[in-house]
This record gives sequence, structure tokens and C-alpha cells, in this order.
Amino acid sequence: MEQFKRFHEVAADPATYARQWKERTRGRVVATLCSYAPEEILLAANVLGFRILGTESPIVRADAHLQSYSCTLVRGALEEALAGRLDYVDGVVFPHTCDSIQRLSDIWRMNVKTGFHMDLVLPADLTTRASLDYMTAILETFARELGEKLGCEITREALGAAISTCNQIRRAVMRIHALRNRVPEAMAGTDLHAMVRAGMVMDRKEYLSLVTSLATALESEYPTSQFYGKRIVVAGGLCNMPDLFDVIEQTGSRVVMDDLCTGSRFFQGIVEPDGDLFRAIANRYQSRIVCPAKHSGLRARGEALVQMARESRADGVMFFCLKFCDPFGFDYPYIKQMLDDNQVPSMLFELEDSLAADGQFETRCQAFIEML
Amino acid sequence: MYFLGIDIGSLSCDAVLIDESKNVVASSVVPTGVRNLEAIARVTKDVLEQSGISEQDIASTISTGYGRTRVANRDGAVTEITCHAKGIQEAVPGTRILIDIGGQDSKAIHIGENGNVMDFAMNDKCAAGTGRFLEAMARALEVDILDLGELDRGAQSDLVLSSMCTVFAESEVVSLIANGTEQREIARGMNRAIASRTFSLVKRVAREIDGLTISMSGGVALNSGVVRALRESLKTDTIHIPERPDTIGALGAALIARERNA
Repeated sequence: MEQFKRFHEVAADPATYARQWKERTRGRVVATLCSYAPEEILLAANVLGFRILGTESPIVRADAHLQSYSCTLVRGALEEALAGRLDYVDGVVFPHTCDSIQRLSDIWRMNVKTGFHMDLVLPADLTTRASLDYMTAILETFARELGEKLGCEITREALGAAISTCNQIRRAVMRIHALRNRVPEAMAGTDLHAMVRAGMVMDRKEYLSLVTSLATALESEYPTSQFYGKRIVVAGGLCNMPDLFDVIEQTGSRVVMDDLCTGSRFFQGIVEPDGDLFRAIANRYQSRIVCPAKHSGLRARGEALVQMARESRADGVMFFCLKFCDPFGFDYPYIKQMLDDNQVPSMLFELEDSLAADGQFETRCQAFIEML
Repeated sequence: MYFLGIDIGSLSCDAVLIDESKNVVASSVVPTGVRNLEAIARVTKDVLEQSGISEQDIASTISTGYGRTRVANRDGAVTEITCHAKGIQEAVPGTRILIDIGGQDSKAIHIGENGNVMDFAMNDKCAAGTGRFLEAMARALEVDILDLGELDRGAQSDLVLSSMCTVFAESEVVSLIANGTEQREIARGMNRAIASRTFSLVKRVAREIDGLTISMSGGVALNSGVVRALRESLKTDTIHIPERPDTIGALGAALIARERNA
């Protein structure tokens, strides 16, 4: 779709975008490993937050440092670094979400030179007052240390402005998600994927202007839906395989909502800038749907997914899970049971980043949709 | 009016031709080989010759199997899961659990009372326990694949092959032969290994199988040793095997062609 063209260009080659951005702005690029890297603080520090998502090249160098049963996100990211393909990166931030990312941080520090290196050791249980206090404190420390490494001070004004920009991006992106749910034919799954992917690497002000005008354009172009196919919710961890959306949509179905780290979850929730801005950022992390590596209540993720399936009138849920993703694996059985109990058909698809959508995946996917 | 179902699997290409009253008037099974278009042409020609009808008499064609998009003059393509479920309802009415072990994958399909697929599971990792696996085992044991099913008759030991990877299992078999283990014991161990793997596939789609009619389709259903081991592992007296288990997918496709044309 024409309106998504710029996003497709950036998503197809984020590295070239980052290099050109550096040349144009003389700014610095800070790579991040997951959605728990605080966007607002990076933006307030005037750097380009750049999320690394595995590799599209064969993994050969990383295998000398990581066991083969690490996920392709972790192995792929290390491969990119070891191959010297992250030469535009001035620093890296490792939020501690899953164990693999934490260990990757150590291996990275020992073997890779990509500028400065920062760990953000997050709490795991996000339901307690103590974890909110702790999260607030480490975000504040992170901002101070980031400022020191960059030789600048992150002021309250700059942080307030960054929060405002990020909130506006989130509102615009969620408007587009809501439109997809209302009028599924308004965009293809690959379009939305490219838009989300671009939002993790593009200059956030440029991105804001693009998504805001896109939301308005799409809303006026697609006031009502003529879609009568099957409505699919995609859930799971990370998915950087746009082909998958094509496989689903070739059957005449549409993805109407997602619970993916590389989907709506990245943009969910608004930071309410009131009083302590670091506490405000921490509050958003505590209140949005969490990643499987975090805890927000015994059945919180399952309840959120059942609710998502209901609200989006889903015919079925497809789980895309990265092979060897332990946190997802621990969560899946009870979530699947909750969907079963609520008569929501679902199916699990285990994926590896480097594999293309093969015949068997297509068969399983089509058979699942035939079953609905 | 006639309806044609073509199932282009990894090992065999099957066609079933039915009439308006769902009677099978012709069927054909040939190896798929590397040129699947030729196999498709061949089975189509076979069923036309057997039935004595011309191509114009075929009202609708549905293709299924891995090569389903290779059939040029199809009226639709449907996955083999849906087709097997449809075909088995005709061959063994009332089937609720269908085990389909084909050339390179195995599936367990849970069918609802209304005949629709409720859930299914596939071995999505490798060809362990499928037709390809059995071919490799027959080669290692130096027996014809058709004799493999009865090879385990009279086996006494509790041997189970520990590896289900086709390559590793083959070297395990070679080691067992080297140790002097009898052929029939090895064959039994192999069948048990397939059965335990299939058991977990069935458990993924239905926690309770007591009282449900269990049937089997796919070429491996013709291997009596595997079927016996499956009966033991599923703790059931009966696994229904249709007359032609290898053409159930094509039969289902033909039935869907008929339904869609109604």
C-alpha cells in the first residue's frame, strides 16, 4: 500500500537508514535489545534509539559463543555485532528481560566493540510497590549515566518533551491498530509490520509526523468495513517475518489484532507525565501487557489475551513463538487452556527467524483457518 | 457428473474419482517422484481410463497434499488435514480421532461430532516415524518395506529404539545388528518408538480418548506392526483401518469437490 511505502523502505534496511541519519544529523545511534529500553530517555538524550532484531544473514560467528538452543533473536543480534555490521552504533543498552538477553550482554561486552555498554537491570515482578520504586530509581540512574556517557545532561524539560512525542506516536499507532481491527481490509499485515518495525529505528519526530498523517488518511479512506473473512489474532513473542502475514492473508483471512513485542505491545500504554517523570515512565511499564519474561499477576497475560480475542471478535488465535524462547514456553500452557475454556480456537507455531515460511507452515496455517 | 480428488503427497500421488452418490468409481496411486506434474497427469489419466469417462464429465476437481497448488485445472485447493478428516468420515463413519502417517509427516486429528476438524497436531520437526523413516529402517534391516509389518511377530524383549531421528535411528539399528540382536526384536523396538511418538501427538489434540472411535489413514496404516504397537500404546482394542488408507486424502478432496458443487 502506497501510504506505507516509506515504512517498508526503512524496515527492509534499517542499517542504511541509521547510517544516513547519522550523516545527516551528526547524531549518535544507541542500539537496544528489547522494548523495555526506555524510548523517552533515549529521545531526551537526543540519540536515535535503534532496536536490533536478529539477523537476516546466516548465523556462523555467534555459534562460537552461544549454545544452539538460544533463540535466533539473541544469536542473530550477536552475529550482526561480530560480523561488524553494527559499525554505525555508538552504544548499546541491554534491558534485563529474559536470561538470554542478560547473558548476551556479558558475552557482548567481552567480545564486541559497539561503543558504550549499559545494562538496565529491571525488576521481574511488576505488581509490587517495591518494584515500582526500584524501577523509578534505576530509570533515573540510567538517565544520569547515559547523560555522562554522551556528555550531556538530560533535563526535565527535554524528558517532558520526549514523553510527549512518544505518547503522540503511541496514540497515532494505536489509532491505526484500532482501524485495522474495525476495517481489516484497510491494510495488509506486512504493512502494519513494516510500520511497527520502522517505529523502532526511525527518527521519532519524523516517524510521528508520518504515522499521524497516515492515521488520519486511513481513517477517512476506510470509514466502514466490507470484510467477512476470518479474523485472526496473532500472539506470542517476537516476529520479524512479514511473510507469515501473507500466508495468513492468502487464505482470505486477516490479522485484526496482535499481542506481539514487534506489534501493538511496543506502543501500548501512555506515560502520564505528572510529578516524577521517571515514576511516570515506570508506571507505564507496570500497567501495560507485559512480556512473558515479566510478571504482572498469575493469569494476567491469559486474561488480557482472552479479552483481546473477545474485543476484536477473533475467530482464532495464532501463537508465533520463537524457538527456544523459554519465557514464552512457560506461559503458553495456561494461556492455551484459558483460550480453550473460553472456546477460542488457537494453534502454536514455533519459528526460527532465518527460516522462510515453508510448505509445512503453510499447510498448518491454512488447515487451522479451514478449521475455524 | 463426477468429482475428482488429487492428493499430491511427498511419496505418493493419489487420485480418487467419485460419482454423484459418493461411490468410488476409480482410483490410482503412483510414486510422486521428482516430477510431480507427470505424476498428476498419470493418475488423472488412470482414473479416466478406469472409469471410461472423459475429462469433460468431471464437474469439479479439488487438490490436496504438499503439491496441491501444482494441479493446474483445479477448482480449489484444500489442506490434507481437512481432506483426511472428510475422507475418513465416509470410509469409517463416526471417527473422532484420526491418525494419519504419510510419507514425511504424521498428524493426529480430533474430529467433532459434526465431522468438522476440532484440533490437529503435526510432527513439525522432522520425518521421524513416517514413511521415509520406515524406508530407511527397512534398508538397514535388509527387508522389503512390505514385509516390515510382520517382521516383529514373536518378538519377546522390551527393546525400544531410543532415537527417533531417522539418521540416528539407522545407526542405532546398525549397532543392534552388530550386537547380534534379532531382526524381529529390532522391528518391534522401532514400532514401539513410532507408537510412543504418535501417542504424544494424539494427546496433544485430545486429553481423553476413551470411547472415541480411532481410525488411521496414510500409507503407514498398511504396516501391521506399527498398528499393533499403536493399539498397545493407546490402550485400545480397535484402530479402524479403511480398505484403502493411502487414498483417504484424495477421497476427502473428491467429497469436498462434490459438496462445493452442490
